[in-house]
Amino acid sequence: MALNRSNKPQPGNKINFDPPHFNKFKLNNGLEVYFLPKTELPIVRINLVLNCGSRYDPVNLKGLANLVSMCIDEGAGEYNALQLSDEIDLIGAHFSVYSDDDSIHITLQVLAEHFDKGFELFKKVLLSPHFNEKDFEREKRKVLTRLIQFRDEPEYLANTAFEFLLFGKGDPYASPIPGFDTTVNSISNNDLKNYYSSYFGAENAAIVVVGSINENELRSSLNIFSDEWNNNVKKKDFQNDLNLSDKRLFIVDKKDSVQTEIRIGHLTSKRNEEDYYNKLMFNLVLGGQFTSRINLNLREKHGYTYGASSRFNYYKDAGIFNVSTSVGIENTANALDEIFSELNEIKNGVNEEELQFAKSSIIRKFPANFESYGQVASNFVGKIIYGLLDDYFDTYIEKIKSVELQDVNEAANKNILTGSLLTVLVGDYEKISEQLKTDKYGDIVKLDYQQLPEIS
Amino acid sequence: MKKTPNMELLDIEYEKYKLANGLEVILHKNNNSSLSAVNLWYKVGSANDSKGKTGIAHLFEHMMFQGSQNVPKEKHFRYIQEAGGTLNGSTSFDRTNYYEKLPSNFLEMALWLEADRMGYFLPALDQEKLNNQKDVVKNERLERYDNQPYGLAWELLITNLYSKDHPYNWPTIGFLNDITGYTLEDVSGFFKKFYTPNNSSLVVAGDIDLDKTKDLIEKYFAPIKPGAEVEELSCKTNPLKENILVTHKDKIQLERLYLSWHSDKLYGEDDAALDILSDILSGSKNSRLHKLLVFDKEYAQDVTTFQFSGKYAGQYIVIITAKPGITLDKLKAEVMHEIEKLISDGIKHREMEKAKNSIKSSFIFSLQNLDLLADQLNTYNFHLNEPNSFNYDLNRYNIVDEIKIINAAEKYLTKPNLEVRIVPEK
Repeated sequence: MALNRSNKPQPGNKINFDPPHFNKFKLNNGLEVYFLPKTELPIVRINLVLNCGSRYDPVNLKGLANLVSMCIDEGAGEYNALQLSDEIDLIGAHFSVYSDDDSIHITLQVLAEHFDKGFELFKKVLLSPHFNEKDFEREKRKVLTRLIQFRDEPEYLANTAFEFLLFGKGDPYASPIPGFDTTVNSISNNDLKNYYSSYFGAENAAIVVVGSINENELRSSLNIFSDEWNNNVKKKDFQNDLNLSDKRLFIVDKKDSVQTEIRIGHLTSKRNEEDYYNKLMFNLVLGGQFTSRINLNLREKHGYTYGASSRFNYYKDAGIFNVSTSVGIENTANALDEIFSELNEIKNGVNEEELQFAKSSIIRKFPANFESYGQVASNFVGKIIYGLLDDYFDTYIEKIKSVELQDVNEAANKNILTGSLLTVLVGDYEKISEQLKTDKYGDIVKLDYQQLPEIS
Repeated sequence: MKKTPNMELLDIEYEKYKLANGLEVILHKNNNSSLSAVNLWYKVGSANDSKGKTGIAHLFEHMMFQGSQNVPKEKHFRYIQEAGGTLNGSTSFDRTNYYEKLPSNFLEMALWLEADRMGYFLPALDQEKLNNQKDVVKNERLERYDNQPYGLAWELLITNLYSKDHPYNWPTIGFLNDITGYTLEDVSGFFKKFYTPNNSSLVVAGDIDLDKTKDLIEKYFAPIKPGAEVEELSCKTNPLKENILVTHKDKIQLERLYLSWHSDKLYGEDDAALDILSDILSGSKNSRLHKLLVFDKEYAQDVTTFQFSGKYAGQYIVIITAKPGITLDKLKAEVMHEIEKLISDGIKHREMEKAKNSIKSSFIFSLQNLDLLADQLNTYNFHLNEPNSFNYDLNRYNIVDEIKIINAAEKYLTKPNLEVRIVPEK
């Protein structure tokens, strides 16, 4: 008998998944430690997260945290920059330092057999960086050259212009992490040293360790570490005041572009337990995955783009909702109209089938978030940054399951603010503006990216 | 000193067999997680495209997500995501792959989906879907290449390095004019020729029961009819007779230099030595070109070198972005001088040790994701006819010595080269 292929096969027995349980403890110096033994491969992963990042950059020194993260491993302890890099390569370790808006991250991934050596090097970078003038000047010139290159990159222009205009000049989250030419030019090596002594303290940090290492061995390494890292940095206060604005549209002129980069969105409440899950659910339907309404509309129905998506992005003390895509320039207005129409439509809510799909995909995907050592560590770093509760991963699935259609639909109606949409387009001004001859987009402003820091 | 990690880790157990219709099957049981991975390779890539129809292998990959007889458009994505899985496909010169990673209790559904499009794709094909995906691919090309700074460099490299009749002479995405020209007949002809069970290999890995998985594969794939055997491409790589210089104006601020030489093919005898060479030249802060040009002299913003190799040919590539005010002539002279110096003065033991240790740990790191592991089993099977080649592959690097690298540098990098300069429009 021929096989009947018309029915989708049913799943086998349900899989039980127990999320990883970290051991949490505090060292004498105040550093919070999260440790998870994970032994299927001989790998140890460390993520240290410092509560600082570019949001603390003084307004005239934007790009400071980024330069700190670039210079901190340019020589430390008895090693100069090149020797230090060699020592890391000799044990085949992956080591990185980078800054984002809320944090500076230092990460190490190393084979278990090289953990001791790797951790020694990690500590040298953290505790005894040189901050030499010569290395500083070189890295600063590198950033200034990179800023020139960014002017050619449409995604970068779109992302940074969008966030700058959304937060508004003066807000700590407004500026791009690498800063602007003028602000980077003003940064001195002393600023780096001051930043380091103001923020690099154990009580202002947390460390996540995942891997194939015995807990007693780890604890004795960490106790030594605790004695070595003793300074009195306290967590810094942070305040910002964010306001929604009227609907408006900016075109960053990039002559002869063949595509238009599009960003549309508005501010949203910062991450909190009450509405996080509801927002997550309706966004999955709207633009959070391949078969979302926005992607199917713009890509699979109209062929305007290679892909389109929407998201709620959260900083520690701010939230952003945005839609992003890149379309053939002749379809700029068409694509905008379709996006606006999807945003209007989602305010009417989603249906039960859409919600079930969203729930199912998130719940069943949950175990795959803990596959690699780096994934597990960064999931926990996320939990630390957002100050989520200790049982966050244990209760995650239950929380998703208990989301109700009515609450999701209220959240969609409340959290999509079509009257306050900021639109940023990067592309050929002449070709775009001739398509936008109506008032439905709000005020239209032409922008030269280099003038961005002056726009208030 | 602790002992080195057990290389048994890299000894990946598997079972390999063929269905009567020619489909090759590789099973790997691995209970590190409750996930399973399906990874299906069709032995067709852009190398099988033809002049005037470039990009069709890649476009076809898009069409495979447009539904089949029992799976409506978009449902392939929908079903896998609903099951908590991730999925995609990709096209290279040599092959096209499709993959799903999902909770293991949904394995049967993934096999059903892959089998349906392997066996029953044509009834669901129509002009509207083709037109739509031509538009999508056109936009993919615009977004990823035409509208990116330096985005056309790759195309300039391969079209000028390989002769017109070489299968690596055109970009996988295809030329814009070709993309707009495909017809339904092109697409269905391509399917019939290349998307046969006897031209593909299926890896299923992860939390699986071997017997049950075999039964499921038999159930869904065995009824699919085999096709005609696909002929191997015949291919000869002609050496460059003299240096070639191509200058291209782009919407960029900083000039960039690309140098390329014909080199060895993937898993060829010099392939691993050239990988180590690239680590020595540009793999770290203290690598030769990086130290000289980015760190000491600050002539360059960045420098990368790599051996890019496939089934039919390989090329060695150097890419350097000039700092403002530095000429590409100056950069080129520095690169050529460093290569000469390496050949005449040799390589330090420490440089070798750094490269080899980095490679060793990257092999262990690469075992972390089940989908990547499954794809690597297919890679080894395709090129070496042995899925469990992790230790063999690592050993390729371990046995390379200083002399071998110097010889490879001399053999390839002193020959005529292709130079592509991307410069600002004035």
